[in-house]
Amino acid sequence: MAKIEAKLGMIMDSVGQFFSGKDHLPYCDSDIVSGCEKEVLEAEKLSSDEQMQDCLLRLSWALVHSKHPQDVHRGIAMLEASLPSTKEPLQQREKLYLLAVGYFRNGDYSRSRDLVDRCLTIAPDWRQAVTLKKAIEDKITKDGVIGLGIAATAVGLIAGGIAAAVSRKK
Amino acid sequence: MDASSSSSQPEFDYLFKLLLIGDSGVGKSTLLLSFTSDNFEDLSPTIGVDFKVKYVTIGGKKLKLAIWDTAGQERFRTLTSSYYRGAQGIILVYDVTRRETFTNLSDIWAKEIDLYSTNQDCIKMLVGNKVDKESERVVSKNEGINFAREYGCLFTECSAKTRVNVAQCFDELVMKILETPSLLAEGSSGGKKNIFKQKAQSSDASSGGCCS
Repeated sequence: MAKIEAKLGMIMDSVGQFFSGKDHLPYCDSDIVSGCEKEVLEAEKLSSDEQMQDCLLRLSWALVHSKHPQDVHRGIAMLEASLPSTKEPLQQREKLYLLAVGYFRNGDYSRSRDLVDRCLTIAPDWRQAVTLKKAIEDKITKDGVIGLGIAATAVGLIAGGIAAAVSRKK
Repeated sequence: MDASSSSSQPEFDYLFKLLLIGDSGVGKSTLLLSFTSDNFEDLSPTIGVDFKVKYVTIGGKKLKLAIWDTAGQERFRTLTSSYYRGAQGIILVYDVTRRETFTNLSDIWAKEIDLYSTNQDCIKMLVGNKVDKESERVVSKNEGINFAREYGCLFTECSAKTRVNVAQCFDELVMKILETPSLLAEGSSGGKKNIFKQKAQSSDASSGGCCS
């Protein structure tokens, strides 16, 4: 009995997760974003180029993980701008991953998937990229299911309407 | 964002935030994966912060554990320090085969906790990882025990790779949190039963940048 209950719980849980649309990526509060911004401003005055790069990477991390869409936009713009001049492979793949997170949060799942696929070509067992890819695929499936549901409802309504119209004519 | 907003959430008595810290490469992420059971080995360093959720029943209580995994690399330090707040449990990890990961506990990580942890009674646990490489060990068990005594931490040695002692490590930490009334009070209780009570608490619970 307990076993059945546990099973049922698990099913309910996965259904719940499916519709609540929770992704397992961390969120970032706006005070973290502003902290990173302050660091960048300070680094501009006195730090080396390398430190500046680290500050900018932290800021872009914070921006794409932010709860606010405008921050995410800004993060994407920053990363897009800096990516062409990034030659070091490790930095390059980090930026690709963060860009993928940004597009994921903005709902551009196909672009996010392209980027995460590029990450996985570079490092096939990269844990965070694998998790993100799964999250993207879940979202795409979910949108697909909801889309199907809407389409099915629409077809049903139209069919019902026609049926009603036909029966009235008679 | 908060647990009460979704009625399809399973009931749980408490939500605990646990945090993994320590030098880069000591095996924090492997330890987390080994516990949450997505089992695969991965050597990519963590970018920024990552987290996993696990539901467990310990000591007769249904618990939701949000376990936060932080990058050990110094360049992410100012970012990871923001995630200490609100944690009820902090796991300090070192590698028993690399001496500097142990000495950095007192030089860096204990100081980070003092600076950034917001829970005075937060439970700390010291974990010596990679005991599967016994022949390469350079930090003895006794040194670990002594450090833990000095800093008031729980202590265990484990292998995230072979999973020896991994579940016990989390169990012991959570049991200790359950025995600490001040942590329970704010370790926001969840479940449908007390949804009203929880609403009042959710503003505190979500302030830690947690997306539970």
